[in-house]
Order: sequence, then structure tokens, then C-alpha cells
Amino acid sequence: MPKLTIDGMNIEVPAGTTLLQAAQQLGIYIPRYCYHPKLSVAGNCRMCLVEIEKSPKLVTACSTEAAEGMAVSTAGEKVKKARRDVLEYLLINHPLDCPVCDQAGECGLQDYYMEHSLQKSRFAADDKVLRQKRRAVGPHLILDNERCILCTRCVRFCAEVTKTAELEVMERADHSFIDLKEGRALDNGYSLNIADLCPVGAFTSRDFRFKQRVWFLKKTPTICLGCATGCQIEAQHNRNAVYRLVPRPNAETNTWLCDYGRMTYKAVQAGDRLEKAMIRRGLIDIEPALREAATRLDEFKGAAAVLGSPWLSVEDNAALARLARESLKTAAYCFDHTAEQGIKDGILINKDPAPNTAGLKKVKAAAGGLSLEEFTALLAGGKVKVLVAEAKAYGLVKAAAAAAGVRLVIFALNRGDAPASAHALLPYASYFETPGTFINYQGLRRATAPAVEPPQGVKPLWAVVNKLASYSGAELHLDSPAAALKDINF
Amino acid sequence: MPYKLTDEFKEAAARICARYPRRDAALIPLLHELQKSRGFVAEEAMDELAKFLELPYARVKAAVTFYTMFNRAPAGKYHIQVCRNISCHMAGAPDLLGRLRARLSLKEGETTADGLFTLSSVECLGACGSAPVIQVNEEYFEDMTLEKLDALLEEMKHGRLKPPAL
Amino acid sequence: MENILLRNNISRLEEYFACGGYKPLKKALGLKPAEIIAEVKRSNLRGRGGAGFPAGLKWSFIPPGPDGQKYLVCNADEGEPGTFKDRELLRANPHALIEGMAIAAYAIGAAHGYIYIRGEFAAEAAHLNAAIAGARAKGFLGKNILGSGFNFELFVHRGAGAYICGEETALLESLEGFKGQPRLKPPFPALKGLFGSPTVINNVETLAAVPSIIDKGGDWYAALGTAKSGGTKLFSVSGPVARPGVYELPLGTAFSELLETHCGGMKPGKKLKAVIPGGSSTPVLTAAEAMALKLDYESLAAAGSMLGSGGVIMIDDSQCMVKLLQVLARFYHHESCGQCTPCREGCGWIEKVLNRLEEGGGTPGDIDLLYSVAEGMTGRTICALADAMAMPVMSFITKFRGEFEAHAAGKVCGK
Repeated sequence: MPKLTIDGMNIEVPAGTTLLQAAQQLGIYIPRYCYHPKLSVAGNCRMCLVEIEKSPKLVTACSTEAAEGMAVSTAGEKVKKARRDVLEYLLINHPLDCPVCDQAGECGLQDYYMEHSLQKSRFAADDKVLRQKRRAVGPHLILDNERCILCTRCVRFCAEVTKTAELEVMERADHSFIDLKEGRALDNGYSLNIADLCPVGAFTSRDFRFKQRVWFLKKTPTICLGCATGCQIEAQHNRNAVYRLVPRPNAETNTWLCDYGRMTYKAVQAGDRLEKAMIRRGLIDIEPALREAATRLDEFKGAAAVLGSPWLSVEDNAALARLARESLKTAAYCFDHTAEQGIKDGILINKDPAPNTAGLKKVKAAAGGLSLEEFTALLAGGKVKVLVAEAKAYGLVKAAAAAAGVRLVIFALNRGDAPASAHALLPYASYFETPGTFINYQGLRRATAPAVEPPQGVKPLWAVVNKLASYSGAELHLDSPAAALKDINF
Repeated sequence: MPYKLTDEFKEAAARICARYPRRDAALIPLLHELQKSRGFVAEEAMDELAKFLELPYARVKAAVTFYTMFNRAPAGKYHIQVCRNISCHMAGAPDLLGRLRARLSLKEGETTADGLFTLSSVECLGACGSAPVIQVNEEYFEDMTLEKLDALLEEMKHGRLKPPAL
Repeated sequence: MENILLRNNISRLEEYFACGGYKPLKKALGLKPAEIIAEVKRSNLRGRGGAGFPAGLKWSFIPPGPDGQKYLVCNADEGEPGTFKDRELLRANPHALIEGMAIAAYAIGAAHGYIYIRGEFAAEAAHLNAAIAGARAKGFLGKNILGSGFNFELFVHRGAGAYICGEETALLESLEGFKGQPRLKPPFPALKGLFGSPTVINNVETLAAVPSIIDKGGDWYAALGTAKSGGTKLFSVSGPVARPGVYELPLGTAFSELLETHCGGMKPGKKLKAVIPGGSSTPVLTAAEAMALKLDYESLAAAGSMLGSGGVIMIDDSQCMVKLLQVLARFYHHESCGQCTPCREGCGWIEKVLNRLEEGGGTPGDIDLLYSVAEGMTGRTICALADAMAMPVMSFITKFRGEFEAHAAGKVCGK
């Protein structure tokens, strides 16, 4: 284990540790563009040059292994001059796009220039190398070759993470540019990670383009509900609108975020988001809708059923279980869902598209109930007259329920998810708007955190259930998420 | 008609690939082979070669665009390459280039309408002692003078390219 | 002195064999590899491609022992402007290279060798292939060479037009079927080289000297040169001299002897102004500096330049140094692989400033700017191409500043 000093501080590290990694352990941040902890070392940007005592040349910290007795300086004048010079070289052909570039405010060139340079450029602005701008390279990304600093993070991501190798650097010298096959789209399911990786505005998100300046965005750590992987993410929002989702890298679950997951915020703000209830395809305020639904449930008391959902939080499922047992007083409820868990593409996307199959099992353990086969058979058998279910979960029993003509009270976020034949459609707060507990495929229990307000009058599902039950005369005392979790054992 | 690698190519490729412990090391020699048959490396050829060597297309294209000897478009029957580096420059390369531009009405990188000549200026050809040097296709022509150049152009117009003795 | 490398009537196998060729190989196969390495160390043979690294020392870095794959690679990418000796050598004496490679391969335990030859040398590649075929047919290459049990397969691999592939790790990348982009070092090729295996890369001239070293001994070879620079060197001389060409001379020969005796002096009416001694990447010398010099590694280093590839470019006083630097700047800019920031951007920047100075739009500030940009590229890149661009820029400005100042003041020469 070599022992060395960095800026006068001693450290001992395992053999093979680079100077950049060793410095990081000491809390010393060495500026870098091409280095990324999850990609191979390229050593081409030269921003991380540091000084080693007795060595005539500066060395790149990202690629130099720590050796016994090394005395490294990251803050001396030689290093500072090298950083200023590298920034000067990077900026000579970089277009003056800041006013129209989405990267402004989170741009590697801006940030390092302010911190390490502030030098006036000595290069004539009209001599810059011109390259292609504004190229749509797939459904998610726009490429601007002029802004590119050729750090090759994008190339290495496609080669090493998605293993699709669409991108390469073509030509050479300062004519070099990132390119992919003519007519081919950069659409490998994880392409938006490249927009994150790109230190500058060369690769930017089409979805986010021109929508918001990043310094206005507030950041809320939350969970992706796109599948059972349950990536840790950050919702970035301003003035009650979510603008984008980005990954929160962590050791247990994810470094990246898939493109599908990134887009999951859109449903919450989509045009068909239910802000009012619907009774038989007619929009209606929530209160009268709940009374109508309660009336139907009372009318068919004894023939009502409740279906839990792996797309709902543990709280919301627990609330549905309480509705079934304490309000409807029926044995016809099901919180059973089985789906194979595990990463299916070697990266992040799960075999199970539902985010809370494991959480649902906790509710089953507490509340019991029928298996999905038994429940489906029951529906098909014709004894059930009314079914309370969440829209996506309804899809699991659709055939049996439709054939038997069961009346539907459906909780839905978007009208597009709900069956057209539903008797009552009830809106509820999404998990960008209210906290919810979910258990991912690794058995890790995590909660979403609200980033924005739900539409006026729309409440969390457990609160809607509480109201619904009260209109039938049952007081469930579901006053909070904690109250809903009362009987659940994690 | 979709482009297909010929049987001759595949035979040559088998011989060439056998020289290396990994097939993909044969990329550049195989690109030379492809260019030999059509005078340039076409888009479809890159695709087929990528499949043949089980490589991403992007890697093949990156190599083709990196190395100067691979033509992306067909060159003329005679690709005249004039060295423009220091020793040839001092020995009169600019005059040779000027003569060629004038007589062929070409700028560097262009091909005559009849497809006979392409003109390029290139970097050091490694024959500086006999500067100025030009290369036509794969042959070197050394100790060039304007007179020799005129004579060579005449020969080429008549379809002859006299190789120097080794 | 009788030439070792550049000899007449020796390019064909029968001729080579008749002059005692391939006897050193037979001798070498009877020695232990360690003995051969020791002999080459004794010879003081230094890399003839430009870097001048001691050859025996380089070979000794290869992990000894028969285990694992090892490779021997010959760098025949000769692209350094002013250098054309390897082409001569390949034409005149290809078997010296082939035999040298067989001996070197035996010494380092390599069973496979490649000659990476620049793509433009099509005729020379064909010539080499024929020579290799002939040597194979006679049992000097292939399996169980001369009954020794040693196997060595040798292939020619053509490049495709990139000066950077003369850099050893860029060459390896190119050989492996990638763009010629130099690798980060360490690890060095001796530990992790071609296809990840220990590899020695040597220049044509270096390897071609090996048979004679084995034949007549390291001490004999060392004595031909100076104390620290053993043997003979092939000097490529270009420029307005009476007899440009390749000259094989003992290291330590006076520059004045090369110019006056061997090259016949400057052509009538041409007065020597400047000399680039070792290929365009080496710092330029004034005529006076050059005339006072001996041609060996140490003397050139002491004079602030380098022996490099021995590509001697004679520049007469009818030439404009600003124009010549512009020609070189365009070359390095064209050849930069583009990987790392200072080289990729700096080369383009330097060419643009020189274009201004040459065409009349330059200012006095441009001269210091040029120097500063070149300085900023030095010692900060993955490979030495940036330094190869920087050294001419800095030395031309230092030694011939007056010409730059005249241009900046508007006095362009219109050449």
C-alpha cells in the first residue's frame, strides 16, 4: 500500500489507486473533463495535470498511479498555469453560445474558467474552427459539434456502458468531430445519460431544450417509479412544474438513469391528467363523484371487490386493504402480484415494469386476501358487481372483469390509462406530489418526496379512500401516511 | 443492388487476418484491399467490412476518416500527390503545384471532369534527398522539374505511367 | 570506413548471403538470449528513429523467460520531414533488417514480428515482402530456424497515411486496427505493448545494425563512434547541396565534413543560413552553430538541439524562415491526432498566427504569442508531437527573430 503526500497531507492507498482518486479521499478536488469514475481513463483533456516533486513534467492525475514516497502538489504555480493554459486552448475554438446554450449554469467550461482562469483570450474570434451545430441525433439528444471539447466521455459511454458503440471521433487534429452512422439514431435506451456526462453543451436533451435556465431549478431527491429497479433520482422543478429527472448516483442501485425513467415526470403534467373525477365519461367534481361511488359500493354491498396495485405506494395499498376489510367488509380483495425481479438488460431496466411488487407483498402479509388467480376467477364467475382498483392494476384482470360486466371504480392519474367503460374515475396525487413508500427489486425501502403540488383539490389516494369510506359510514382514520402504514411490518 | 464483399476479397482477407491474433487488427490492410478494387472506400463497403470483422460501423468510419490514404470518393485514374513539406518546398514544389493547377484547372482535392486526374498536396513522402517529389497513385517521381512534369502529364494523358526502376 | 548498412549489390538474397549474410543469425542462435542483449548493450547502439534510446536497455526491459506472447515490431513509418534513410536502407539492404529482426526476436523471446511500413512506401513494402519470402524459403524465418528450435514469423503491415504512427504507441494502436492515437504511458510497451503483450519497437536502422554487432562484436561497433554514441549513423541530407542523399558516417563526424566532403558543399550561389540537424522536430541551428558541431547525440544535445533521426535539412539564405516555419506548422497541424487539448488546439492556433505573419496581417505581439502558445504545449501532452511542433517554433523565433519582426512590420517576402 503506497504512502504518499498530496499538498502536504499524508495518505496510504491500495496499489493501483490513481492520484486523482487518492486526492479525492483527502477531499482535494482536481479539475477534470474526460475522467469519469464509471468510464475508462482517457487522459486527453489535460485539465488534471499535477506536479510530482523531482519529476520534470506535470502528469495527469487521472492516469498516474500513486507510488511510494510521491510528493504531489495540486496547488502550485506550475499547476495553476497549466490549468489556465488548457482552458485557454479549449476556449479558442469554442463558440460564444452561452446566451443560447442550455448548459449555461452547469457548464464545465464556465465553472472551471471562473475558478481557475479569468484570463482574457488571445485568439481572434473570427478564426474559430466551424463545425455542425444543432444536429438531432435521435429522439432524445441534440449534438452541437462546435461546442464539443472532445473529451470522449460520450464515445466511452456508448462503448462501455450500453455496449452499442454508436459514437466515435472522426477525422483528426482540430477537424475532429463526434459522429455516428448517417441516418442512424442514437437511441440505446440510456442516451440521456450522455447529456449528463457531457461537460459542455455539445450533447443536450431535446426534451429540456430551451425550457428553463438551470439556476432557477429546485432539486428534490426522489425515486423513479418506471420499473422495479427504483433508481434514485432527482426531480428538478420550478414554479410547480417538473422540468427534468436526473439520476442520483449511489452504490446500491444506480449510477445512470434510463431514458424511459427520465420521461416518467411527463404523465404528471400531461394534458390528460385527471384533475377532476369522472362519472360515466362525464367530468364532475371530486366530492359528488366520491358520493356517487360510495352509493354504488353500498348498493352492491357484499358483491364488492378491491384490487391492490404494484404501481401504488405501500400507504395507498394499505389504505385500499383497509377499505376492503373495514368499510366494504368483503373477503374479495387481492394484494397479490408476482413478477420476476431482476435487471433484464445488464444495466438498469428491470424485468418487472411495476415499481412496488415487493411493497405490495408487505400489504398482503398484513391483510391477507386472495391470490391473483382466485381473484380473477372470482371476477369471471359473475358474483362481483363492483370493483375498486387502480388503473394499471386493472389491466391485470381486465378480461375477466369486462366479460362479467363488473362495474368499475378506478383510481387513475391519466385518463389515457383508464378503461373507457369505468363507472367512476377518481383522481389522486401522484408520487411527484405526495410521499410514498416503495420497495425495489433489491428489497430496499425508499420513499418518494414531493416536488410539486397536486392539482387543486386532488388528494393522495389514502386520503381519497378515507373520504370514500366515510361516505359509506366507515371511519378509517386515515389521516396521514403513517396512519395508513399502521399494520404494515417492513 | 446491395453491395457484397467479393470472393476474391474474402480470400485475401482470410490470408491477411491470419497474420494477427485478433481479426480486427486486419482493419487497415483490409481497407487497403477494398480501396484497391474500386479506388475508394464506399459507405456500403464500410458497412460490410464492419459486419465481416464484427466491429461497430463507427470504428471503421473513424479509421477511414483518420488516415489520409483512404479516399471517401473515387479519385481520378491518376491521383497526383505533390509533397508540400520543407525540403520539397525549398526545391520548388510550389511551382510544380502551380503548374498542375493551371494545366489541369484544378484546386487541391478536385478531380478533372473526364475523371483522369485528381490533384492533392501531401506531407513529407520520405524521399527528401531527391526533392521535389510527387507521387502518382503508388509510384514516386523524384527530382521533378517543370519539364519532367509536363512530360509526365503527356504520358498520363496517353494512359501511360512509367514506373521508376527499383 | 567501409559502410555497414548502405552497401552496393546486396539487396538480393543471393548477394547478401554471398557477403556473409545470415551467418550472424546462425551465430546468434548458438548464444543465449541474455548474451545477445549484453552484446548489444556493449555496442552503445541507440535508437536510430529519433529518440536515441539505448537499444540493449530497451530489450532488457522485456520480462525474460519463454512464457507468454512477446512481439518485435520494426518502425518503418519514416515520416519525419527531412528523413529518408530508412527508405534507402529498405531498398538497398532489406536483409540486414530481416536478419536483425530475427536476431532481436530471438534475444527477447518473440515468435512474431511486424514491420510497420508507411502506406506511401508501396514499392518498398512489395520489395520487403519478396525479401521475406526469399528468407523464409531458405529457412531463415519461420519454424525451427536453422534447426535451432526457434520460431519467428515476420509480416509486413502497411500504414495508411499518418505521421503520428511513427510514435511507438500510436504505431501499436494502428497495428491493432485502430486510429493512430498514442497511448498513455506508463504502462510502457515493454510490459504492455502489442495486443497487451511485452513488445520491443525499434527503428529500421537500429535493427539493421544488429547482424554486424553480433558478427564483429559490440566493442567493435562502439569503437566506430564516440564514447557514448556507438557505431555509424545514416544521415539524410536534403536542401541545396551539390549531392543530397543518404550518407553512412561514424557518429562523431564533423558537420563540416558531412557538408563539404560528402555532400560537395552548397550549390553555387547558395549560402548556408540555417540547419535543421535531426528532422524537422529538432531545434534549428544557425549556420555558424552547425559548422562548429560534431554529429553525435551528446554534442547536439549540448548545442541545444538533437541528433534525432539524422535528417539534416540545409537552408540557404534565399529562404524565408517565417515561410519555412509556416510550412512546418501546417504539417504538424495536419498530423496532430487530435486527442489532447494543447496539441489539437495549439497546432491550429500556431498555423493561423503564422499565416497572418506570412501574409502581412501579423503584429509584433504575434511573435511572443507564437512563442507562448508553443511553450504552453510543451511537456503537457500524451505524446511528443506537441513538443515536435513547439521546438521549431521556439527555435526559429529565438535564432531568426529579425525575420519575424520584419514580417510583423509589414515587410513580407511574397515567397
